[in-house]
Amino acid sequence: MMLRRAEFWGGLFWLAIGAFVAWQGWLLDLGTLREPGSGFVFFWLGLIIVAFATSIAIGGLRGEGPLLGDLWRGARWRNVLLVVLALIAFGFLFERLGFVLCSLALLLFLMTVVDPVRPVISIPVSLIGAVGVWYVLEKMLLVQLPKGTWIEDFIPF
Amino acid sequence: MDVIAGLGQGFLVALDPINLLYCFIGVFIGTLVGVLPGIGPVSAMSLLLPVTLSGTPESGIIMMAGIYYGSMYGGSTTAVLVNIPGEAASVVTCIDGHEMAKRGRAGPALGIAALGSFVAGTFSIVALMLVAPMLAKVAVAFGPPEYFSLMVLGLSILSFLTQGSMAKALLMAAVGVVIGLIGLDQINAMPRLTFDRLELVDGIGLIPVVMGLFGVAEILTNIEQQIRRDIVQSRIGSLWPSKEDLKASAGPVARGTVLGFLLGILPGGGAVISSFASYAIEKKLSRTPERFGKGAIEGVAGPESANNAAAGGAFIPLMTLGIPPNVVMALLLGAFVIHGLQPGPLMMSQNPTIFWGIVASMYVGNIMLLVLNMPLIGMWVQVLKAPYKILFPLILMFCIVGVFASGNAVFDVFVMIGTGVLGYLMRKFGYEAAPLVLAFVLGPMLENNLRKSLILSEGTFDVFVVRPISLVCLLIAAALLIAPLLPALRKKREKVALDATD
Repeated sequence: MMLRRAEFWGGLFWLAIGAFVAWQGWLLDLGTLREPGSGFVFFWLGLIIVAFATSIAIGGLRGEGPLLGDLWRGARWRNVLLVVLALIAFGFLFERLGFVLCSLALLLFLMTVVDPVRPVISIPVSLIGAVGVWYVLEKMLLVQLPKGTWIEDFIPF
Repeated sequence: MDVIAGLGQGFLVALDPINLLYCFIGVFIGTLVGVLPGIGPVSAMSLLLPVTLSGTPESGIIMMAGIYYGSMYGGSTTAVLVNIPGEAASVVTCIDGHEMAKRGRAGPALGIAALGSFVAGTFSIVALMLVAPMLAKVAVAFGPPEYFSLMVLGLSILSFLTQGSMAKALLMAAVGVVIGLIGLDQINAMPRLTFDRLELVDGIGLIPVVMGLFGVAEILTNIEQQIRRDIVQSRIGSLWPSKEDLKASAGPVARGTVLGFLLGILPGGGAVISSFASYAIEKKLSRTPERFGKGAIEGVAGPESANNAAAGGAFIPLMTLGIPPNVVMALLLGAFVIHGLQPGPLMMSQNPTIFWGIVASMYVGNIMLLVLNMPLIGMWVQVLKAPYKILFPLILMFCIVGVFASGNAVFDVFVMIGTGVLGYLMRKFGYEAAPLVLAFVLGPMLENNLRKSLILSEGTFDVFVVRPISLVCLLIAAALLIAPLLPALRKKREKVALDATD
């Protein structure tokens, strides 16, 4: 029962992070108090994180906080997963497909699959959104956006 | 006399047509993001930070400042009409503002919010103008120990005032400093936690971190819930409050203004805390506290004045000490740095046009907001009717564009996605993002000043206690850190957090 507490797992996660930071600080060179090295602050911050994380994890073991499963009870977690996956795909394809195509695909995906909107709305909003933002940034504010390494030979502008 | 001459010079800058346009864009966008739930001033400012590069420093910073105080105005509209705070500082306004709207008094609620905001905003600018030069003179005497202790105090206050677990808030602050220190060591140029990635040598950018923790995390949290908006359908009616309303609101506006301004100056304090504090004070002072929560106009007037006054007060530590007291000011610091400017005690003497230009533009912006908010409320209501399922994809795209444009690197987009997921999980597990972001910004300064202090003092920590300003800051910080361990104080702090959540 105690191991199902969110506090325990949250504390454990930060405990690992804190230990890693302290270890990296140690490797970087602590220096001396007269001349602190590059790892001095990292090392001590790592230990501080470990201390707080331990107290949070112990709280979880004592039964404090909600159960891990309760955090997602009744939540539409599928939407969260889909958005994160869509963003990762966007990141990988951004430079290859270019801003306009990528944004168009992202907007259509979000408005069709994640939280569906009627096509009569989703298609024009996606088109105006992607092309409009591209026009304002690239043409008016002269911000360079990726043209798409896979398609730049085929586009006239 | 210096102040008047400076202000005159500032008005010349602020009334320049291009700066007027930037100011208008800033307050307009600020009101818009204040109105829209799910996107706040932090996201909007991050998004527009790269855009400021195309203009002069004063134009860019005037626009950024406009977004901040504009959002404080806009947040009240959503709070009153939809019962959803447009941004965090308007949470309290929902309580009585929306009740007033349900009873057919949306007009006076919105009117007093705008009027109170205007009074408080104007007061805070006057106070900023008078206090900042004095504080700047004192700040010249600050050395590394004072700066270090002041930053420790700021992070302690923020952690103390954070809702819920203080251990979690302090942990977040420590994590924020670690993330802020990734990259080259400022003293000996040694790469730290870069894992041989060239993109990390310059450190992690503020914009991807902020957009991830606030923008993307907010969207992920919202889309897993079915958002229902309870928009008031009845006519809004006259916005001008009645004589009785004005009489009842005068005290709360005055108290909220002073309280907000003072809390705004404190590092770690700010608009959210001041609005809660103002509500609590008004309820306590009222002869009829039972009306609170059922549509008391004092419950709108006080907090709305407080959050606007705090927005003005927050400029003081940034302008005079170069220390941002909250996340929004940290972004503004980013805007200064992008333009090669360093806010601090010398700002007023080295860049008077920019300092006074910003101050004067705040007067102009406040008037613009009053003019903008009163007649355009109908338009903001229409904006509110846009379904979230259409808004969130667009907001997400703006986040990506803003992050990419800030550094022209896809790596930053991945940082935003990573911090977005982290921010979402942090919300789930009850960890707040604000201490992390503030510590992220202060981290490099904190480390630099600590190491410099130790080098100067030849390795002894006495340097932090023999200097009075440093000692006072550390004593207050220690008291705040120890306070939750005392049972009576812990109960009080938990009650404040509980009231805030309610």
